[in-house]
Amino acid sequence: MTNKDKRHILIIEDEEHIAEGLKLNLALQGYDVTIAGDGISGLQKWKSGKPDLIILDIMLPGIDGLSVLQNIRLEDERLPILILSAKGTPDDRVKGLACGVDDYLAKPFNLEELLLRVDRLLTRVSWNHSDHGSREPGKLSQYTFGTNQIDFEAGRARCNAGEIQLTEQEIKLLKLFITNSGKPMSRSKLLEIGWGYAGGMTTRTVDNFIVRLRKYFEPDPKKPIYFKSRRSVGYVFNPNPSEK
Amino acid sequence: MDRTRWFFHPILVFIFSIAALGLSLFLYIYWYMEVSTGLESIIRRFNLDSGQVLESETWVVILVLSILVAIILLGIFTIFVYNQKTLQLYRLQNNFINSFTHELKTPVTSMRLFLETLLKHDLSREDQHKYIRYMILDIGRLSDNINRILDLARLESKSYKANFAVTDPVKAIRRFVESNQPVFRDLDILIKPPARDDSRCQIDLSLFDMLLMNIFTNAVKYNKSETPRIEISFEIGTRRFHIRFKDNGIGLEKIEIKKIFRKFYQVGRADDMSAKGSGLGLHLVQNITRIHRGRMKAESPGRKQGTTFILSLPLCRQRSALS
Repeated sequence: MTNKDKRHILIIEDEEHIAEGLKLNLALQGYDVTIAGDGISGLQKWKSGKPDLIILDIMLPGIDGLSVLQNIRLEDERLPILILSAKGTPDDRVKGLACGVDDYLAKPFNLEELLLRVDRLLTRVSWNHSDHGSREPGKLSQYTFGTNQIDFEAGRARCNAGEIQLTEQEIKLLKLFITNSGKPMSRSKLLEIGWGYAGGMTTRTVDNFIVRLRKYFEPDPKKPIYFKSRRSVGYVFNPNPSEK
Repeated sequence: MDRTRWFFHPILVFIFSIAALGLSLFLYIYWYMEVSTGLESIIRRFNLDSGQVLESETWVVILVLSILVAIILLGIFTIFVYNQKTLQLYRLQNNFINSFTHELKTPVTSMRLFLETLLKHDLSREDQHKYIRYMILDIGRLSDNINRILDLARLESKSYKANFAVTDPVKAIRRFVESNQPVFRDLDILIKPPARDDSRCQIDLSLFDMLLMNIFTNAVKYNKSETPRIEISFEIGTRRFHIRFKDNGIGLEKIEIKKIFRKFYQVGRADDMSAKGSGLGLHLVQNITRIHRGRMKAESPGRKQGTTFILSLPLCRQRSALS
């Protein structure tokens, strides 16, 4: 890797010592490194810095690592993310991989192994770049449920309310519901993943968006069949209500 | 979903077994009565003279059956209670493993990372020193954690012998603050001395220091204000000496206050892994208070409004004689 023009790596880790040790090593390898101390600032730095790779801790103050990961995956499916966590049981690994992580390393880790994995992930991304030319994030481009049709690339939807333009936040929330269809999601989880807020804040925001989505896509917004409320849990999206 | 199944399962089993037991008792007696009335009619038909014997026997049988059923019931109940306790402990232990894994692995990870770095690269002397200092801090953190577990194991054993000395608690706190100044550099400590400072309590100084250390570190750890502050005031009752530790930390919600002294309990949601630390600190504090025959209470007006811990220790009776 001699011809890399300073790849940018973002480390989201709240333990200062570990973050600094990682930064030192990655910088010595010739990478450009940024550190974020918690989930919220991690998301901000991901948006502003456009890193080529993210090293993510799971146990973070504010928003936990898995929510950060899911939030990023809603917008970018290809960005290589490596989880570095003290939780190393197969269950934890499966949870991380199910959320869309590329690699999982348990703490305490072997430095050489981490560096090689990081290198490998970045190399693979550069292949993908040359294969496809442009880098369009996200594999979800079209989605149909009921009589509704959503075009994610154009940000439009054809639905009961006619042809409408969706806002960025609506698209995010729709993607989140579609990737988790059938699974009930709590308001605070929706807020964490969809908006990148720490849970426990006012959750009326979520309700307002649900009202809007129902108005767009439900045949009868008063009697929802797709975006259903679950008492004391949150909301669940079911694209095929008749199958139940 | 899984948890509710776990929770309801034993209760349903418990209720069913009690119902079955009650029904069987009823049927035993009912059938026995039927049989004995049948017998009685036979006796009457054949004009036998043993009715009195039968009647007294009936009541003996009913009594014996009832006692047996009561014993079985008691057995089921005991098993049920123990089962519930085991489940509770299991959950606690899980919580402990979850949070303590992090506490133990983090310093180890950091140390390993720096050792491997030093092995791999020739860093400048200055950098080397910086990272070695990091590692020393990590070792401190690790040994603190280990000590906390060991201390607790020691304190929880009933045979713990405290080394009591008659001391003025105000002086003990002052001495603690002075000797730990570098540790609490960022903490603004305010001691409001009481009107009379001749109070005497039975105090084990090493334990008392441990208690103060936990309360002070909590005041810093669970604090989001710019300058963490702890205010210590005193109140002298007729038989007890009250010490109030008031901080400007993140505060507690009502439902949490009851739970914070429990072993392994962590404020924070277990599912998002925001809880950190061992969950042992305040449990340790409570154990120390118990050894001192004192009482510990927490008060908080709510989230973001600080917490007050009130420690009340019994006053020594020979106070006047000593002063």
